[in-house]
Amino acid sequence: MAYPYTHQKEVRLLSKHFGEPEARTLEGWKARGGYQALPRAFEMGREKVIEEVKASGLRGRGGAGFPAGVKWSFMPKERTRPHYLLCNADESEPGTFKDRELLRWTPHLVVEGMAIAAYAIQAEHAYIYCRGEFFETTQVLARAVEEAYGAGILGEDAMGSGHRIDLTVHVGAGAYICGEETGLMNSLEGRRGQPRVKPPFPAQAGYMGMPSTVNNVETLASVPFITTHGGEAYRAYGTQQSPGTKLFCVSGHVRRPGNYELPLGFPLMELIDDVCGGMREGRSLKGVIPGGSSVPILNAEECRECLLSYEGVVAAGSQLGSAAVIVMDDSTDMVKQVRRMVGFYAHESCGQCTPCREGSAWVERILRRIEDGRGTEDDLDTLMEVTTQMEGTTICVLSDSVAAPVKSSILKFREEYLARIRTGEKVGAA
Amino acid sequence: MTDQPSPQTVTLTIDGREVTVPKGTTILRAAERVGIKIPHYCYHPGLSSPAMCRLCLVEVEGWPKLAPSCKTTVADGQVVLTDSEKALSQRRGVLEFYLVNHPLDCPICDQSGECKLQDFVFAEGREHGRGREPKRVLGRDDFGGDVLFNGDRCVMCTRCVRFMREVAGDERLTVVERGNRSVIDTFFDRGLEGSPFAGNIVDICPVGALVSKDFLHKARAWDLDHTPSVCPSCSQGCNISLHTRDNLIQRLKPRENLEVNGWWMCDFGRHNYEWINRSDRLEVPLVRGKATGWPEALKALLEALQAGKGGVKAATWAHASNEELGLLKALVAALGGGETVFRSPRAQEEVLLPGYPLLARRRDLAPNVRGAEVQGFTRVGDDEARGGLEALADHDGVLVVVGDPLAELDESFGSRASLFVYLGSYRCQAASHAHFVLPITTFAEGEGTFTNVQGRVQRFWPGLLAPGAARPAWMILGALLAELTDAEAPTRADQAFALVAERTPELGGITYRDIGTRGALANEPARLSGD
Amino acid sequence: MSDSSRIPFANPGWAGNTGEFDLTEAQVRGDDYVGERPMEGGHPSGASSYPYMLAERDPQAPLFEGPYLVRWEKLRSRYPDARSALLPTLGMAQELRGHLSPETMDEVARLLDLSPAYVRGVSTFYTMYNKRPMGRFLIQVCTNISCSICGGDDVLTAFLNNTNTELGETSEDGNFTVIEAECLAACGFPTCVQINSRYYENVTPKDVPGILERLKTQGK
Repeated sequence: MAYPYTHQKEVRLLSKHFGEPEARTLEGWKARGGYQALPRAFEMGREKVIEEVKASGLRGRGGAGFPAGVKWSFMPKERTRPHYLLCNADESEPGTFKDRELLRWTPHLVVEGMAIAAYAIQAEHAYIYCRGEFFETTQVLARAVEEAYGAGILGEDAMGSGHRIDLTVHVGAGAYICGEETGLMNSLEGRRGQPRVKPPFPAQAGYMGMPSTVNNVETLASVPFITTHGGEAYRAYGTQQSPGTKLFCVSGHVRRPGNYELPLGFPLMELIDDVCGGMREGRSLKGVIPGGSSVPILNAEECRECLLSYEGVVAAGSQLGSAAVIVMDDSTDMVKQVRRMVGFYAHESCGQCTPCREGSAWVERILRRIEDGRGTEDDLDTLMEVTTQMEGTTICVLSDSVAAPVKSSILKFREEYLARIRTGEKVGAA
Repeated sequence: MTDQPSPQTVTLTIDGREVTVPKGTTILRAAERVGIKIPHYCYHPGLSSPAMCRLCLVEVEGWPKLAPSCKTTVADGQVVLTDSEKALSQRRGVLEFYLVNHPLDCPICDQSGECKLQDFVFAEGREHGRGREPKRVLGRDDFGGDVLFNGDRCVMCTRCVRFMREVAGDERLTVVERGNRSVIDTFFDRGLEGSPFAGNIVDICPVGALVSKDFLHKARAWDLDHTPSVCPSCSQGCNISLHTRDNLIQRLKPRENLEVNGWWMCDFGRHNYEWINRSDRLEVPLVRGKATGWPEALKALLEALQAGKGGVKAATWAHASNEELGLLKALVAALGGGETVFRSPRAQEEVLLPGYPLLARRRDLAPNVRGAEVQGFTRVGDDEARGGLEALADHDGVLVVVGDPLAELDESFGSRASLFVYLGSYRCQAASHAHFVLPITTFAEGEGTFTNVQGRVQRFWPGLLAPGAARPAWMILGALLAELTDAEAPTRADQAFALVAERTPELGGITYRDIGTRGALANEPARLSGD
Repeated sequence: MSDSSRIPFANPGWAGNTGEFDLTEAQVRGDDYVGERPMEGGHPSGASSYPYMLAERDPQAPLFEGPYLVRWEKLRSRYPDARSALLPTLGMAQELRGHLSPETMDEVARLLDLSPAYVRGVSTFYTMYNKRPMGRFLIQVCTNISCSICGGDDVLTAFLNNTNTELGETSEDGNFTVIEAECLAACGFPTCVQINSRYYENVTPKDVPGILERLKTQGK
């Protein structure tokens, strides 16, 4: 069985074994070279592991792009209290579907990555916070974890190293905001998943008030490669500021949507036209959301020169985020889609901060009115101002995520809004 | 100042004013020090700060984002701007968000006039909101107990939820749902009944979302007069304000005093005020049943006392002030001394407030048990403040009763006394045989002090006009004492207190000025018997 | 490992109608999906990950007895305090009873020594906890952006029409409740539909009658 789509331009460090059911078993995984990085990490010592991850320049794959090694080095050097490693598998940014693939095809890769990270930050207990909807995924993962316990890879004496590494699969219950690291910690503590005010940062007071590190699934899945081959080898891919490979989740109006592992800095248009087989028959590119629905939309013009690295996408006017590339062709009804995205954030706002709680719902209602053909031109100014009031004023950045699609679409697709306001006419069908 | 700032303090500038505060102070508290009030909802000094209302955000020079002043601690040399354009536009924005779904029903809202949403929007909000969409409607919910919830007015500050969790230790409220659909609620029909401190959530609600059923549509906030006082319902002596209109108590509210009650009071005390408004009051001095003017009455009483035979016995209650108790004790001494007793009701148990251990509804259900004991009165009677006066009932000498309503006794009381003097506030069956019935004021109508369970002497002020010719008991007792001894008759409460303090070592050295509105601990707390 | 058959599905993710990929419908839907699940939750590390697959949910079912208690104790052992075990405990309760009634919340609160109001606050925060009874099959159609631009709304309409229900309503026979879902993280395989615990990917309106028929007749 072959993984749905692959492409010769891919560099498959993580996704090599996608589509191979045998890779999910411990036996199969070991046959594919698994569980060699963990003993190597124990040999290297935890400081060296952190150093290598720092040297690799691996940046957080959840969206913020914070260097993972630096994050680990924030943890206290001496372990006087329990440390926790929390793996963020609450994948719910619209457009993103990479963690689920990693977990259900290569669960042992994630387990190994987590074990190395737990060792590096001196955590004896690691939790993987899986999205509640991932029933099948968490079962595959749980089987892998059980196998790892059975083989002595996890447990009191992980691989005979003398280190205790426990791993628990935790299942969420449906809240996007639990993908925010402090919301995740609250949720894991059995609370409403509301983000916490920082400081204190998780490395000082995280889960249960103890030093904690939260890493994305893909970040941790990249760790075994770095441990085995060294930071320099990882830097062979990608750009200076964005080293390594990244799983790009391409969805929308391309012929072959899917996950493609490419070196960072890969040109966006090449991804769409070559790797994904181009746009659907007879359609042209209208816009791309390059990093999950919380980042500004790029229009076709901006896409042309855009390179898919953290800095490249910023230069093009957006952010790489979780590298969820949502491709929209000219059939897209931009007003409706922006309203849908805002509706998502209004639905998922935790309701703590006033600007987000009130603002997201308000913006959605204005957009719905425009969509129904009952808008006025003033509404566009109101939307711009109201979303500005929502930027940078809240505990977490969900509020900013409302502003990004609204503002960028009004700036770039204003004519479409105006047409809707003046004539009630739709531009696209979908 | 030439002092070197110690490492324990931090100096910063807020709106151009330099302020030095202890390390770890928040910007909001530091600003309060120099009189700058930063608007806020979710922050309350008695609760944790979730920093979620986003109203108290201020600009800190060099920081990319505005900082929540309720949570951000000060740093040396920090330059804080609370009313820069950035901070102002943030507040304007947040206030607009609050009004998107607010019903603007101020004309029928009890909070109107003391509402922080009104105040802040009036001060800094936009002139006109831009919301054109239909508003979300949640309606009204009975939370049980005295609390009524108006969801539409709620600003979701969650002070009430945090109070119940952190202070009351009785987590009966929660935020239900999330985002724009979130609303405060109880566990279905299990409300706040029986939660002894739940009334405080009405006080800390910055808007009209939580209102008191007892106070519902009773008075407008701006029509109420506020008088500082001390709760008379137990010996804790919570600092309170009497909110009065039309010479009636409309409600009692706690008054901040970190040494006694913090910001809180119990529901028992809060709702136990109707008796103060009783209308069956004694209004004129009665001499052998005949209404008389004060000069004549006092003259006759003085003569009767001087001629009195058979020894003196006196009874009072623990609602009497230190001034009244002290002067009664002095009067009895001047008449040759005799038995002095008091009665006071007592509950089975204390009712603790877990989150503020200083505060509890105490067993003694009267404000001045400690004061009565310090003055040397002996406690008699049962826990309902009944009985114990048998020795007085049949006393054939001079019998003086101050305050005690003698509720369970009939007209046979004091019938054998050679002289029976009753100083009270209410018409009293048991005083039928009294030769003198003199009307006195209640704590709400006069000035005085109570000594609480901690030994803290606390002042109260008059919030109501006394009915008819009623006078403070200390004034009457003081005038008699002045005639019997060579003391000076007190004409003001502070003079009465000074007289009492002079002859009470425990109160020695304290004056009304020391007590102020916060109270003062008695110098040498008396060693007392009993529990 | 011999019991790798317990890995309960074979759904590789299906990417489309382009004709380049030739899995059969049955392979895509994963006929063998409903596999064996350890009643008592297997190893504690994964105890919260195996949903109970019960033919019928029973709103009166005992929650913390027998194998359920064994499983709950395993869950509990993985967390530093009782509060942390709240989410998995609620999840377990819902699997058995189908939804979280006030009585269920109260029972969970007592078990974990939390206030019932607190438990209500937490359970209403998370959308996967049903606060009312649902149909035997809860059909969640993703209409978020990636599915929406590929026709998610049409799939939703097809489900509503074919079950003859309104959004969120339960069909008369008690079988189906159709709701809109937020992004299910299967954006490359639009439209994604989650029915109870299973993902159905690349669903088009014309697939809907077949899916419903199969659910009715085969119960999966």
